[in-house]
Amino acid sequence: MRSHIIATIFSKEIKEVLRDKRMLYLIILLPFFLYPVLFTLIGGVGASQQEKLMQQEIAVWVSPNATDTPLPEILAEDPSLKVEMKAFTEADLEGQKRTMGIQLPDDYQERLNNGQSAEIVIYADQSQDVLNMRERILRTQLTGLGDQLLNERLASKELSPEFANPLSIDSVDLSPEESGDRMMVAFLPMMILLFIFIGCIYIAIDITAGEKERRTLQTLFTTTASTKEIVAGKFLAVAAVGIVSATMNILSLVVAMNIQAYLLEEESAGMAMNLAPEAWVWLVILVLLTTLFLGALSLAVVLLANSYKEAQSYVSPLMMVVLIPAMMAIMPGVELNMQTALIPVFNVALSIVAILKGNFDTSMLAIVAAASFVYGILALYLASLSFGNENIITGEKVNWKALLGK
Amino acid sequence: MTNRQNQHIYMSTLIEARGLIKDFGDFRAVNNVSFQVEAGEIFGLLGPNGAGKTTTLRMLSGLLTPSGGEAIMNSHSMQKEQMAARRSLGFLTGDMDLYRRLNPRELLMYFGKLYETPKAELNARVDRLIEAFGITPFVDRHCEKLSTGQKQRVSIARTLVHDPKIVVLDEPTTGLDIMASEFILQFIKKMAREEGKALIFSTHNLTEVERLCDRIGIIHEGDLVYLGDVAGIKKQTGQDTLPQAFFELVKEDKMATSSL
Repeated sequence: MRSHIIATIFSKEIKEVLRDKRMLYLIILLPFFLYPVLFTLIGGVGASQQEKLMQQEIAVWVSPNATDTPLPEILAEDPSLKVEMKAFTEADLEGQKRTMGIQLPDDYQERLNNGQSAEIVIYADQSQDVLNMRERILRTQLTGLGDQLLNERLASKELSPEFANPLSIDSVDLSPEESGDRMMVAFLPMMILLFIFIGCIYIAIDITAGEKERRTLQTLFTTTASTKEIVAGKFLAVAAVGIVSATMNILSLVVAMNIQAYLLEEESAGMAMNLAPEAWVWLVILVLLTTLFLGALSLAVVLLANSYKEAQSYVSPLMMVVLIPAMMAIMPGVELNMQTALIPVFNVALSIVAILKGNFDTSMLAIVAAASFVYGILALYLASLSFGNENIITGEKVNWKALLGK
Repeated sequence: MTNRQNQHIYMSTLIEARGLIKDFGDFRAVNNVSFQVEAGEIFGLLGPNGAGKTTTLRMLSGLLTPSGGEAIMNSHSMQKEQMAARRSLGFLTGDMDLYRRLNPRELLMYFGKLYETPKAELNARVDRLIEAFGITPFVDRHCEKLSTGQKQRVSIARTLVHDPKIVVLDEPTTGLDIMASEFILQFIKKMAREEGKALIFSTHNLTEVERLCDRIGIIHEGDLVYLGDVAGIKKQTGQDTLPQAFFELVKEDKMATSSL
């Protein structure tokens, strides 16, 4: 293989990508704006929706025997609640909009005085968002009232609140300090793999099926560039775009999450990753090797299509190859071992999870890297088989037997 | 034939199709097609749509591997010495378009580099081609914005960027207006007569064939049913014009086939 021929093909492909506004938009601009805008929108809409729900007036029917209890006072704290002291049954509330009921037993005070438990029932159609939210708030307030009554009872018997709480349970998280946020650990492997794939697949379609459709592929195959040189040049272009796409997406995601955390003023929600240098090195190695595999696989498969449209029908099945292992990797109990280290894509997703959690085994990551390298080379071999097939290049009917038997 | 004459033929024969056969599954698209094209000669390859012309040309270019026979380009077998054979060949068919987002100069430089043309020589050659094909007015425009005629000029310039001894042009004037066609036809003539290139010229326009081609080959249903000059086919079929002779030959062949 002649490196200057590969470089010539690579630079021509990259030049075309840089001049393709649609591709640039997809690879750089979209991820750059997507997450910050998406997160802000979702956050903003969510917050305003909640505020709106809280302002809606709700009728609260309360059984008359609650008059002398702290309940009316608790309800009065929220001006949007219109309290009505009246006797009602569950059936009376059916079909009522924005109305909830609070029922106290007839012997409420008596039971409390006797040191017994009194049952308070909240009736609310929880399929209505506005009532569901109020029910949750009210339940918290009533639990607080219950705690207050308990403390009073204990005090009357000269007992401390600890008497009713013999065991105090606390847990300390011993996970390494150098680890990513939990949410990042769950989503980042999937995001990394997905964005490498998305970056690879669109340029792969453009320079294979797209070229066939635009009738530019055959010309290349009549020159003195060998099939291997053509595969190498095109593959490097796919891989470069895949890596840029993944980097842009991840950077944007991290930035968006940090903006969101800042806006929510929750320092604990800070999403910045605090990884050891060694972990970063492994992350980069695995990302590169995954790009090798996904880029070559994308090239090999979409070359089979004769048009953009046909190639796009191959995208969904290929995406499953990425998404399913990535989702399986974050399931509880699934971990990196000698078996899982050999399953393509799944092994990389598990490795990224381990790296982000900060508890990775270097020898295991080395096995994953070696396996990924082998799969990458196999995928490249598959791509060179596709590119070496005259029926695929000329858009004729593919003889699968000849292709696989070659 | 004396040894000297043999030597002469060997030296000047640039294209040789030796019993080319192509099967697609059970279907034989090209059946035992043989012909030679000499340096400085324009050879017309004719035939109805689907006759096997493009398949034959694709075998000559190395895009398709023959199921039988061999394609020899400038004494190099396209199957055994592909790189050397391709170096001598400039190939253009209707299935070949230009990269949309490159301008003509970039496109010519790209292909020149793929053929490993030395940089200084390539620059000079690209300048010459741009001038010769009248590409200068649109040399910086992306190919997607060029007219059909402009595109075809750039495409033919592309086939010549590595200065090949053999040029194969499949329907190069299809879709072009009369001025653009004339320009291309004149250039084809010049390439053969002045530069001594061997040219295969495939077209459906029989007037162009009569004007340009020294010899013709007619492919029908995969078989080479005629090989010779234009006068010969008229004589063989007893017709006055090439179109009539062509129809007669294809009709006869069909009748012969159906009577089998």
